[in-house]
Amino acid sequence: MSISAETAKEHAKDPAVLCCRAEAGITIQASNLEDPAIFDDLVDSNLLNLDGALKIEQVLGATLTKTCDSLTPLTADVLEGYKAEEEEAPAAAPAEEAEAAEEAPQMKAPAAAAVSGGVMKIHIGEGKDIDIELPVGFNGGAAAQVELPAGVQVPGAAPVKELEPKVVRSVTRKHYQITEVKRGPETKIEGTTLYIREGIEQEAIDSQELVHNLKIDIITPEQYHTYSETIMDVQPIATKEGDAEIGSGVTRVLDGVVIMVTGTDDNGVQIGEFGSSEGYLDENIMWGRPGAPEKGEIFIKTEVTIKEGTNMERPGPLAAHSATDVITQEIREALKAVEDESLVVNTETFDQVRRPGRKKVVIVKEIMGQGAMHDNLILPVEPVGVLGARPNVDLGNVPVMMSPLEVLDGAIHALTCIGPASKEMSRHYWREPLVLEALHDEEVDLCGVLFVGSPQINAEKFYVSKRVGMTVEALDVDGAFVTTEGFGNNHIDFASHIEQIGMRGVPVVGMSFCAVQGALVVGNKYMTHMVDNNKSESGIENEVLACNTLCKEDAVRALAMLKAAMDGEEVKAPEKKWNPNVKANNVELISKTMNQTIELVANEQSLPMSQKRKEKYD
Amino acid sequence: MKYGDKIIYMEGVIVEVHDGCVGIDLKGRLGYLKIPMRMLITDYPLVVGQEVGWNMSFIEQLGPEANEKYVSNHDACLKRQKEIKAQNGDSEE
Repeated sequence: MSISAETAKEHAKDPAVLCCRAEAGITIQASNLEDPAIFDDLVDSNLLNLDGALKIEQVLGATLTKTCDSLTPLTADVLEGYKAEEEEAPAAAPAEEAEAAEEAPQMKAPAAAAVSGGVMKIHIGEGKDIDIELPVGFNGGAAAQVELPAGVQVPGAAPVKELEPKVVRSVTRKHYQITEVKRGPETKIEGTTLYIREGIEQEAIDSQELVHNLKIDIITPEQYHTYSETIMDVQPIATKEGDAEIGSGVTRVLDGVVIMVTGTDDNGVQIGEFGSSEGYLDENIMWGRPGAPEKGEIFIKTEVTIKEGTNMERPGPLAAHSATDVITQEIREALKAVEDESLVVNTETFDQVRRPGRKKVVIVKEIMGQGAMHDNLILPVEPVGVLGARPNVDLGNVPVMMSPLEVLDGAIHALTCIGPASKEMSRHYWREPLVLEALHDEEVDLCGVLFVGSPQINAEKFYVSKRVGMTVEALDVDGAFVTTEGFGNNHIDFASHIEQIGMRGVPVVGMSFCAVQGALVVGNKYMTHMVDNNKSESGIENEVLACNTLCKEDAVRALAMLKAAMDGEEVKAPEKKWNPNVKANNVELISKTMNQTIELVANEQSLPMSQKRKEKYD
Repeated sequence: MKYGDKIIYMEGVIVEVHDGCVGIDLKGRLGYLKIPMRMLITDYPLVVGQEVGWNMSFIEQLGPEANEKYVSNHDACLKRQKEIKAQNGDSEE
């Protein structure tokens, strides 16, 4: 397909190739040339050889001396009157570039990591050599990771006037350590022992019509190698002190213990049947991810059985969560009743600081809203509770602005849909790394966290996305992050959010699990700054809980990238196929520039293999 | 994979619509797919009988070994279903 004069200008430095047969004697124009975007695929499949091809800027206006077929690279021997290769004289450089060079005195980004030929090869070491070749060629959104530009400091961020940072509100977390969980005649906390009332299961079952059975298992670290139904959610146990609302005041939280919701329907079908994480707990949990349990924690695990066939209907998963919350709520009441202040092992204070004069940024978090388990309860009365919350599906998935402290204080109760590795559990929001990094970064002014649901139908996706654009416009921010969990049709609105923000001239960094399997289905010209949340070895969604979710290392990269973008620096275009080295390079670059080590989290390779598999290997 | 780049256009009919997933019969009795909502791109409200299209390829085995993890999960599932069946049978009698 021929290109326009505008495209020719954008691709001035790319090779010139004829798009269709051209007769000798014609003058080469943009309309004679092929779009350079497709060259990579053609070169890979040996249909095109670009050796000796002149650049587009050289051939425009030259005369063809020989009749050539389509897809012939224009070389010196078939052209007359082409321009000689331009010397990179400073005078000839466009003004914009010169300016940019002055503004960015930092070191230049190193060359991109070695491209492993045209094909990405995955090796699965299951005894036999299996090589998989996965082409991921989409234009605009292929392997959605890009090289970070040079600087991460924001020279332009120095305040014009000396404006004092202002603390808007604070949340104090009081931590109570739990070392043992037992059953007893009443739910109470004694010292570091939590007692859960015998027989509470029946009340939980009776509270929900759809719940037919509920079993509580207390899983201690010695029992991690236990079979479990699919993990639907991991939740902190926390309660507000006095009349405080979520996002302010004092929150009491139990350390060393988490609530884990699991379940099936009457027929034994997993709730959240797709890519479920059932199996041995220790083989299916990526320890220490923001949304996952820490090694050593005790799980209060509910196994909820819901009415057959309701596992994929909206009321089903909600009933399982609500029934579990009956138990959590009773523990919260017990936690409220604790009077002994000496049991507080640690106190943390989170300040929401506004920094006038600094670059103002907003975080847009896209959450699932397609229905059933693709839903989230927003702003319950108690942290990660059910009572008082509104499902974002019922809110029409429109954007809801929250303070960073509300997010960190349990404002989101996630019904966590499919894809165990990339879904964000309720606990993820409690420890959300991007919110924490942006909140604590003194170079930016985080104004809020905008939650937007992802509806099913495209028309609705664009409806909510336009509201995101308008909201961001009204906020007058200097930069924005857009994050999403998992992959699928939510990438359509993810791309649209970025477009809506980008078209208003606001630099935006997108974050998602992409790698190989979650490669974006759509792209647009504003999707230039992307951070991939992938951690898995081969770039795919696996059954390991929270493996591919947003971690600190991703937050640090995104923040550095946004600062660079707000400073007007270009980011390298993504490589054609997913290449994990891009991330490694970026991390190294940031560590060097910021002079701090960024520790990378482990992935599924660190988990134990089943005994039988091990025997096979040894 | 040996034949991984062979992309074939397929069509199917939506036969089940749930809040969280849809069931699709592949035309020509070539099988059945059940996919979560977010893996389906929709421009219109979903109803049974709508036709859908997608590109796919042939499925290839990755090796001769059975992965013990999946075998054990499958066994657990079968065992559980058997128990449930037995329980239901008891309650009916």
